Amino acid sequence: MLKGVTRLVSRVHKLDPGHFLRLGTQAPQSLAAHLDNQVSFESPRAISCTSENDPAKHEEKHEGQHYNLPLQDMKTIFPHGLPPRYAMQMKTFNEACLMVRKPALELLHYLKNTNFAHPAVRYVLYGEKGTGKTLSLCHIIHFCAKQDWLILHIPDAHLWVKDCRDLLQSSYNKQRFDQPLEASVWLKNFKTTNERFLNQIKIQEKYVWNKRESIEKGSSLGEVVEQGITRVRNATDAVGIVLKELKRQSSLGIFHLLVAVDGVNALWGRTTLKREDKSPIAAEELALIHNLRKMVKNDWNGGAIVMTLSQTGSLFKPRKAYLPQELLGKEGFDALDPFIPILVGNYNPKEFESCIQYYLENSWLQHEKAHTEEGKKELLFLSNGNPGQLERLCAYL
Amino acid sequence: MAAASLPAWRRLQPGARTLRAFSTAASPTTLPGNPRPSTTERTSRFDRPPRRKALPPRTEKMAVDQDWPSVYPVAAPFKPSAVPLPVRMGYPVKMGVPMAKEGNLELLKIPNFLHLTPVAIKKHCEALKDFCTEWPAALDSDEKCEKHFPIEIDTADYVSAGPSIRNPKARVVTLRKTEDWEKNKTEADMEEYIWTNSSSEKNILETLLQIKAAEKNLEVTKEELLGTKEIEDYKKCVVSLKNEGDSENTLSQYKDSVKRLLNLT
Repeated sequence: MLKGVTRLVSRVHKLDPGHFLRLGTQAPQSLAAHLDNQVSFESPRAISCTSENDPAKHEEKHEGQHYNLPLQDMKTIFPHGLPPRYAMQMKTFNEACLMVRKPALELLHYLKNTNFAHPAVRYVLYGEKGTGKTLSLCHIIHFCAKQDWLILHIPDAHLWVKDCRDLLQSSYNKQRFDQPLEASVWLKNFKTTNERFLNQIKIQEKYVWNKRESIEKGSSLGEVVEQGITRVRNATDAVGIVLKELKRQSSLGIFHLLVAVDGVNALWGRTTLKREDKSPIAAEELALIHNLRKMVKNDWNGGAIVMTLSQTGSLFKPRKAYLPQELLGKEGFDALDPFIPILVGNYNPKEFESCIQYYLENSWLQHEKAHTEEGKKELLFLSNGNPGQLERLCAYL
Repeated sequence: MAAASLPAWRRLQPGARTLRAFSTAASPTTLPGNPRPSTTERTSRFDRPPRRKALPPRTEKMAVDQDWPSVYPVAAPFKPSAVPLPVRMGYPVKMGVPMAKEGNLELLKIPNFLHLTPVAIKKHCEALKDFCTEWPAALDSDEKCEKHFPIEIDTADYVSAGPSIRNPKARVVTLRKTEDWEKNKTEADMEEYIWTNSSSEKNILETLLQIKAAEKNLEVTKEELLGTKEIEDYKKCVVSLKNEGDSENTLSQYKDSVKRLLNLT
């Protein structure tokens, strides 16, 4: 009964002393497009949400608070790359709220002060399972998208080293293997994200696909991407061309490039792919991986490289491994060195409280004890402040 | 009266050696001049030939400046009658003193070096000199020795007080020698991480050179870069990360040093 009263109260935008109201999103949930422009006229006492929706303006005082990402933007910026459970939550609540946390704030600070003449700096987000590395990466990507950077987002590099069905021998280099399916899927998503850049960037070299087809110097990057999507056989080579051109041209200063790789430890790990004679394929024999490795090297300037380490999809790594050297291995560490490691940890008490408030406000926690102090303490104990674990626990309540 | 019966029993067996006299106390005497009875008959105590008197110990005949190596020429157990020192060993009873050397099992049990006095060792060396040749005059420095004789074996000896003369650490012998194939030792074989000529060094130098090039500061050379304090710091952090593994501490140090190097706030 109390829940019905809350909903009624929230509809009329009155301040209810018993429950904190959320700012800015009290309109009927279908009008998601207007969320950005809505002026917040609720009380600023809410501790779980902030009205500051521009990541560029996020500061320490916003730490622990959720900010809203407009759903339209989510479709463009994140056609791939959201963690699956978060995507489900987004669908359920019909809105996307991300918590502003310290690691992301730190990274934002560095990115704001990037010197684009210097070689690209590499940042590595690491932490235990479920602490929020991927979502922090999404926060950064949102910021860069708002700042009009070109986003090169590889949602999960582990997907490229396991369970690939068709492996073709690469036409460009006989020793390497192509992955047409993965490459074409990625090209589609890349196109969705960076539509506006594709016509502006012109390639600076002539590429020959085969005897009959080639692409001339000066044509736009969009054509390369189209070629890759339509001709799936050439998709991997198209990806290679895109990466090469972007790297070359970002140094010219026309655009800023953000390379965001999730699960970068896949690049230097083992694969589960085998040739026809059942001999295993090493990671560098895959053309996609080879090109991506070149991309995360810091021999270009005009942007930044943000990566996360992930044990979740990784192959042949123990479940408790989360430290950089464990997951990257010697080869990976040497390739990424020097980088800035940023630890993403569990929720601190303020963030935990904010998360619980957010769930309560969205009526996600239905258990009667959920909003009591003991209930919160129990949840804190059970999840140990781990965001992923907390989310899974609350799903049952 | 076990002491008296023992010698009598011994005498019954022909050819048996007499027991060494452990005490200077005189044993009961028999009548002198008794002929040896035949072995088949039981003899009475008075028919037995007299037992030899225990001789005074050798120590009483020793001069102060005697030739000790001839008393103990080889390793031998402790003979209280042959060692003229008033040694006492053992745990004393209440209001007592440690036991004297006569009949003292403790002194027998422990190893002794009575055969290795400095005098004895000098004599050994003198004797061995006849079998030695001269040190070659050409090998007058360590480097020459190492060059011609590259194999070195290190042994260690340990001296300590304790119940045992053995020390397991003394069994460790080190062989030092560099073979040609050891030069092919790759980075994967290295026991610990060495920063010079590693890929980490290359990476950081390249990065810094690019930064300098971007700032139009081309006069800086590699050696100068290597000498700066930030690079030293970075080197230490990387070495500790590689050798000790990841931990919050090492990672945060590494992070700070990279931030300083790349001039990030």
